[in-house]
Amino acid sequence: MGRAYSTIAFDPAKCDGCGDCMMACAQAKTGTSDTARSRIQIVGRGNATKDATEDATENAFELALCRQCADPKCVTVCPAGALAKDGASGVIGWDASKCVDCLLCTVGCAYGGIALEQATGHVAKCDTCDGRPACVPACPKGALTYVTTAKIYNEVGDWEDLFAPGLAGCQGCNTELLMRHTLRRVGPDTVLATPPGCVPGMGSVGFNGTTGTKVPVFHPLLTNTAAMLAGVKRQFKRMGREVTALAIAGDGGASDVGFQSLSGAAERGEQMLFMVVDNEGYMNTGMQRSSCTPYGAWTSTTPIGAGCAAGQPAQGKTQDAKNLPLIMVNHRCAYVATASTAYMEDLYAKLERAIEASKTGFAYVHVYSPCTTGWRFASDQNMEVARKAVETNFVMLWEFTPGEGLNFTRPVDDPLPVTDYLKAMGRFRHLSPAQIEHIQGKVVENAKFVQRFSEQAHGG
Amino acid sequence: MSTTTLEKPAVGAPTKQKVMLCEGNEAAALGVALARPDMVAVYPITPQSSLVEHVAKLIADGRMDADIVDAEGEHSVLSVLQGGALAGARTYTATCGPGLAFMFEPYFRTSGMRLPIVMSIVTRDGITPQCVWGGHQDAMTVREVGWVQIYCETVQEVLDTTVMAFRIAEDHDVMLPVNICLDGNYLSYGTSRVELPEQSDVDAFMGAKDVNWHVALDPMKPMAVDPLTGGSGGKGPATFVRYRKSQCRGMQNALGVIEAVHAEWASRFGRSYAPLVEEYRLDDAEFAIMTLGSMTGAAKDAVDEAREAGRKVGLIKIKTFSPFPVEALMRALSKVRALGVVDRSVGFRWNCGPMYQEVLGVLYRLAREAGTVLPAMSFIGGLAGADITIGHFHRVIDATERLLDGPAPNEPVWLNEND
Ligand code: SF4
Repeated sequence: MGRAYSTIAFDPAKCDGCGDCMMACAQAKTGTSDTARSRIQIVGRGNATKDATEDATENAFELALCRQCADPKCVTVCPAGALAKDGASGVIGWDASKCVDCLLCTVGCAYGGIALEQATGHVAKCDTCDGRPACVPACPKGALTYVTTAKIYNEVGDWEDLFAPGLAGCQGCNTELLMRHTLRRVGPDTVLATPPGCVPGMGSVGFNGTTGTKVPVFHPLLTNTAAMLAGVKRQFKRMGREVTALAIAGDGGASDVGFQSLSGAAERGEQMLFMVVDNEGYMNTGMQRSSCTPYGAWTSTTPIGAGCAAGQPAQGKTQDAKNLPLIMVNHRCAYVATASTAYMEDLYAKLERAIEASKTGFAYVHVYSPCTTGWRFASDQNMEVARKAVETNFVMLWEFTPGEGLNFTRPVDDPLPVTDYLKAMGRFRHLSPAQIEHIQGKVVENAKFVQRFSEQAHGG
Repeated sequence: MSTTTLEKPAVGAPTKQKVMLCEGNEAAALGVALARPDMVAVYPITPQSSLVEHVAKLIADGRMDADIVDAEGEHSVLSVLQGGALAGARTYTATCGPGLAFMFEPYFRTSGMRLPIVMSIVTRDGITPQCVWGGHQDAMTVREVGWVQIYCETVQEVLDTTVMAFRIAEDHDVMLPVNICLDGNYLSYGTSRVELPEQSDVDAFMGAKDVNWHVALDPMKPMAVDPLTGGSGGKGPATFVRYRKSQCRGMQNALGVIEAVHAEWASRFGRSYAPLVEEYRLDDAEFAIMTLGSMTGAAKDAVDEAREAGRKVGLIKIKTFSPFPVEALMRALSKVRALGVVDRSVGFRWNCGPMYQEVLGVLYRLAREAGTVLPAMSFIGGLAGADITIGHFHRVIDATERLLDGPAPNEPVWLNEND
């Protein structure tokens, strides 16, 4: 299997050309404040600072920076063998003792990633500062990110996929991705419970004598997942065997009819990892509403009416969603987190903590999972919809432990308007301005509420 | 609770058994402890509560080494035990009435998964009208769900049958959940003398533990437990049909296993009970009355009194209600010419007692195979904790005797309606 590498990503929409990144690089790499010697160059900066009225969103800035290419032209053209890609880190390194200063590499690179440094008379390029690039934290706008998702690919890719290939999920559904990654991380010493919903529906639990899962799997009732899993776990504990009890459940059963057993198991501190895949409804049975369905959303049981007797058309769900993860926080679980498949690193970090917590108590992970079919968006848009949910604060990513309280793992201080999220799918197409206003108001209110909760949990 | 030690000389029986005074619920708890379950899950409900309290105390006192799960309701109680059994645990719980109704969803599934869970039903009448007192309506209501159901007559029988239930449930030819039914109020709180077997003798009787040999949730042998089965045509429905058939076979096998286990119990502990159907003063009887559960004591007294008055009456007690002991009952019924069946619950569809309905099927078999048409009638008594007295049974005997010469009424006789 090939390797993936970490990389520095640049979002031109966020960059205002301040040059702080260049300053940080110059200081880190040359000990000077000469931004001309920085290995990261924000191109077009000169123009922008001259004309302050220019719209920053017009992508005024471009980036000249080594991309640490997989098949680097600079390496190929270098006649002296002074440039080489490191197999482990992916960084293209420059060896001064071999370089003959021919500058062919600067011609070979299309990104301006390697250039002559006048002060030294040699070429210079980004070496990612050994995985802790100085430029990234220096950027006040968050336009630079050090993307380390590659770690997941490299570390997890070799672990066994504990689901058979060819599970029958809907096109573009991210639940299969979530299941495969989760079980890979949790590992084979696991008993898996998948109550009625999309997870067994796509074949994980099997049909007529078949199964799609390589660990022992059980299809509990919609109502009793946590209780049944508690029985399994307790018996293994009694026998002195370490087995992870994992539930991958839908939001409907967990928040509605299965809530009693979920709450009871959490209160008793049953040692399990309970994951809810929240696609905000009973999606595999025809897209009916659950108590996790958000206000205004179309579902097959909260339809868009042509007009009722009072002349007031029904307009989707008329109540706000139940905040199940916060309710679980109030059970004082050993661990509670919200997660999203658009932020896999975040999810992995949380899985790790959840697995650990499940050895002593109840761990709960709530994953927001956009549903291509039921939410009405194109099948290639899943990650984008998931990301927009976070960027608008419609969904907040945090984790809770009784000791550390509630902490945001990906705070969004400057959220996009919620319409950016609502517009991304068809189930909100009918919304009236008043309904949109209600939703935006609830997003703000909810953000404040969770924020206050976080502060209180920290004794603030 | 006062105890003395009784010398027990019966052949093949253990020499010593502790004698004590206890209520039926405590006897059930002691029986459970002797069977050494790994896991019990509990939720209290009247008149079962003191049973789970006794279980909790036995565990707290270290007299029972089981994992106790104080679940948040009966639905979870049985669900926890399903998980436990699938991981290899011997499991036990108790419930009644509304609690049984609440656990119906996992209750149905327990027999389908062939999990040998043992559960006492401290029987209680149904609601509404609101009622917390005894009656058989709860257990009767779930009689078509594939659990073995055995009814007890005395406190001693509760203790002994509770231990035996685990052997029956876990038998490889059965592998079905078992209910031990003890009458709410009468047996649950009724206090009497019982003999408590020695743990080592019960261990010898139980043998090695072997709970989930056929189905397991264990990473050492990964399998999908209970995947979706059915659909249209071919393998799916055929699998389902074969599965159901084997479940029915397990139920039928239970009849023989119950007999064998009772016989072994008698030889080891010196106490014997008719495992399926008890025939009392039946051999020269002209007619019989039929009973279930704790009412049998008063009924036997009434039969004795009627016998002294020269009337040829006998008694048939059903002990195993599910599977229904058709063959044993045919043998008993072939000895008499008329039958009165006393139910402690109501069959709403037929306007008679549920046990009476079951007997009608046996009477048809008797007519077809032996050409005997037996007149029979239904009595409904003891609802909502009402006492069925010896006086009531005299009325039952009188009415049943009249069937020998007169027509059999289609309406049931409602006891306790005015008294
Ligand atoms: S300048 Fe140095 S690194 Fe660049 S191509 Fe020439 S020899 Fe290679």
